[in-house]
Amino acid sequence: MVTREDVINIARLSKLYIAEEELDEMTKAMGDIIKFADTINVASEQGVEEFDNINNLKNAFREDVVVPSYERDEILKNANDIDEGHFLVRKRV
Amino acid sequence: MQYEMVAGFETHVELATNTKIFCSCTTQFGGDPNTHCCPICIGLPGVLPKLNRAVVQYAIRAGLATNCHIANISKMDRKNYCYPDLPKAYQISQYDKPLCENGYVQLSNGRRIRLNRIHIEEDAGKLIHKRGDTYIDYNRGGVPLIEIVSEPDIRSVEEAKEYVEKLQQIMRYIGVSDCRMQEGSMRCDVNVSVRPVGSDKLGTRTEIKNMNSITFIGKAMEYEFNRQVELIESGGEVEQQTLRYNDSENTTSPMRGKEDANDYRYFRDPDLVTISVSDEEIDELRKTIPELHFEKVERYVGQFSLSEKDASNIAKYRRIAEFFEQASDGVKNPKTVANFIIGQIFRRLETEDDKESFDIKTTAAQLRELVKLIDDGKIRNNLAKSTLEQMLDTGKPASEFISESDMAGLDESALEGLCRKAVESNPKAVEDFKKGKQKAVKSLVGFVMKESRGKADAAAAEQLIISIIG
Repeated sequence: MVTREDVINIARLSKLYIAEEELDEMTKAMGDIIKFADTINVASEQGVEEFDNINNLKNAFREDVVVPSYERDEILKNANDIDEGHFLVRKRV
Repeated sequence: MQYEMVAGFETHVELATNTKIFCSCTTQFGGDPNTHCCPICIGLPGVLPKLNRAVVQYAIRAGLATNCHIANISKMDRKNYCYPDLPKAYQISQYDKPLCENGYVQLSNGRRIRLNRIHIEEDAGKLIHKRGDTYIDYNRGGVPLIEIVSEPDIRSVEEAKEYVEKLQQIMRYIGVSDCRMQEGSMRCDVNVSVRPVGSDKLGTRTEIKNMNSITFIGKAMEYEFNRQVELIESGGEVEQQTLRYNDSENTTSPMRGKEDANDYRYFRDPDLVTISVSDEEIDELRKTIPELHFEKVERYVGQFSLSEKDASNIAKYRRIAEFFEQASDGVKNPKTVANFIIGQIFRRLETEDDKESFDIKTTAAQLRELVKLIDDGKIRNNLAKSTLEQMLDTGKPASEFISESDMAGLDESALEGLCRKAVESNPKAVEDFKKGKQKAVKSLVGFVMKESRGKADAAAAEQLIISIIG
């Protein structure tokens, strides 16, 4: 069961703002999503070999060789605010 | 009531790989802000992280050197939290299937500090707070870390310091990290609780975050121990908290309150596939683990009869230990080699970093040649010492500074001649000696040594002088 408190807590952890009047709807929606996901429990595990991930891939490694990084201007392109080559988060009043 | 300290460590160690854990950006320390970055390490959507093979190998070696069991199957998980040092809003770490488990580090008092686990994860970016604004540099973001989690087995500040030093030495020896605490490549979170002596229950613990100096770790633990004892003694209760240590005041203060209780909502990272390591691969990596510091100390004391202190001073630095072993190979008395290293070579290596990098001009083979000249009775210790200084200055071999005539030594008649000269030229010293002043003979020996330019055998000269006077 998903409670209103769960929703409030998850919203807080995710830094999302949810208005008081949205809470009931949100709680029901999240409950539905989890119920849907839970249908997997209906399936029988008998005779099914345990697998670790869906495509059963293993060891996709990269060798430890340096490739030049991006130009800083490219890296900072998405930043809202920039100063002295840094991403800048302004003080919130 | 008597209380005892109970402490456990979570130690982050930056791995010395060339590239980051999930992308091919350099891990080099420093660099202009945000110049060691790419879309993967700044967390842009739609990118695909790919695990660095060397990270897995380094972490397994760290595990093997600390007696861990290495998991054949392991995986990466997402640890969710929102903070600007982490642009994806999650850190890729390991949760329920770490690479290494159930190890230990043994202290000199015989106690074993058990390690719960060692897992791999990515480092976060660096935040610089200025005038209330936050400047973010993601160069460090994605640098590979191992987190070494101990059980709460530490009982004193001394044990804590030794534990950290030992980890540092082990990681440096196996070459997985330089463990420079001041540069942040090794950082400790320290969990401290107290309990009445004799109790086996654990008290409520507090966690002191991000300690990067062994001295401060000691001070912070002491402060926290006293604070908790006083709190309990005055009828209060210890609150489970995350603390920051303020080194200027030597106090701890809370970092975040209860309302921020961690809720990381770990789940498997769907972008990263299973890590599978065979027993054969683990055995191969095991072969790369060198003899460690404390094993060397034991051997140096047992095999070469060095003092524990000298052995430890040499073995502490891997390069110096290797130099010592090469220079001692085949010499009669490895102690002489040790004395040259600790006496003369160390004088030229002032800082820990100097000793760690051990950049000197003289090779081990050159020092061995010099010591062999002493072994063969061709030169005396004094001459060897001054020669070594010249060798260290120039990088040239001993033969450049010692002539054939130096090496010839003194035959008996020459020595006797010098001793007679010493007695004739120093009537005052002879007089003093006759009056019973034993020490006076030393100045006569000194005369002989000076006249022979260090070639005379001081002990033989002393006996000869005494017999001449007598």
